[in-house]
Amino acid sequence: MSGAPLLTTPLLWLAATVGVFAGFDVLSRRSGRHPLCHPVLWSTPVLIALLLVSGTPYATYRAATVPLSFLLGPAVVGLAVPIWRERARIRHLAVPVTLALGAGAITSIVSAVGIMALLGAPRPILASIAPRATTTPVAMDIAGQIGGIPSLAAVIVLFAGVIGAMIATPLLNAVGVRDYRARGFAVGVAAHGVGAARAFQVDETAGAMASLGMALNAVLTAALLSILALLV
Amino acid sequence: MLNAIFLLLACQLSGEALHRLTGVPLPGAVVGMVLLLIWLSVRRRERPALTVVTAWLTAHLTLMFVPAAVGVMEQGAVLSRYGLALVAATVVSTALTMIVTALVFRWAVRRFSEEDVA
Repeated sequence: MSGAPLLTTPLLWLAATVGVFAGFDVLSRRSGRHPLCHPVLWSTPVLIALLLVSGTPYATYRAATVPLSFLLGPAVVGLAVPIWRERARIRHLAVPVTLALGAGAITSIVSAVGIMALLGAPRPILASIAPRATTTPVAMDIAGQIGGIPSLAAVIVLFAGVIGAMIATPLLNAVGVRDYRARGFAVGVAAHGVGAARAFQVDETAGAMASLGMALNAVLTAALLSILALLV
Repeated sequence: MLNAIFLLLACQLSGEALHRLTGVPLPGAVVGMVLLLIWLSVRRRERPALTVVTAWLTAHLTLMFVPAAVGVMEQGAVLSRYGLALVAATVVSTALTMIVTALVFRWAVRRFSEEDVA
């Protein structure tokens, strides 16, 4: 046997990450994709525990898993496809889509940052929660760019998605919005991909509108926050 | 299939280049998304391979951000101090955003579209 010790090759942590995730993914599927069984929610603490037990620094783990995180970039670029696919609907619903998107993006940023600012949180934390409604890779990019902490942003965004997916049906029933286009769009704008996955379970139109809301909000929130960061 | 993968990488690369060279404040990948959208509307045709590749990427998005989420292990101090506040702010913000978006959408459909909606 020769070559680098297995502990220092990327292979070990790549295999661990995919393996742990695949295991929790099976459980998630058995639960009927319940938001609380989201595989990231459970893989993350298990992998952290493995790193702590083996005394592996996070930097080593992050370097080993670059092949996975690299794919986030092309995945974000690919969000253009749902927007393109829904172009007929966008034309038809241009005014509602534009107004609801703007209102939703601003509400999300102002409420999240406002509450944390009132509680005395410093700027890096405000910058980490500001993009909380966007899809995770975009939130990480924005957070890193405006002085936040990308990994904190990732965890906040994941949590927002799980909460959004869980409260969507009761909340929108309580408000009395029955139009599946409005419901789906709202879930996508407020709770990105995790919300969109939930919307697809309920109704095909709601799912398509949720994907659209997620993709459009990624662009708008990124634009608003990048401009805001230049001013503040 | 290869063409679709190249298209995604080329858009991301151009997006990153634009971001760095021109100082467009949007993240490079988001600029890449906008570029792909422009490309799709200029060269209008069906792209089954692109749909397959992006659907695969989107389906596995959650696995791809596990390495970043694990990074929260270095944020113990922040979480013990602000964890509860972050949970509260995230829950309130998510609920408010959903309500506002849905209500504005419904109002705008009624106000600006001819059709009747429930």
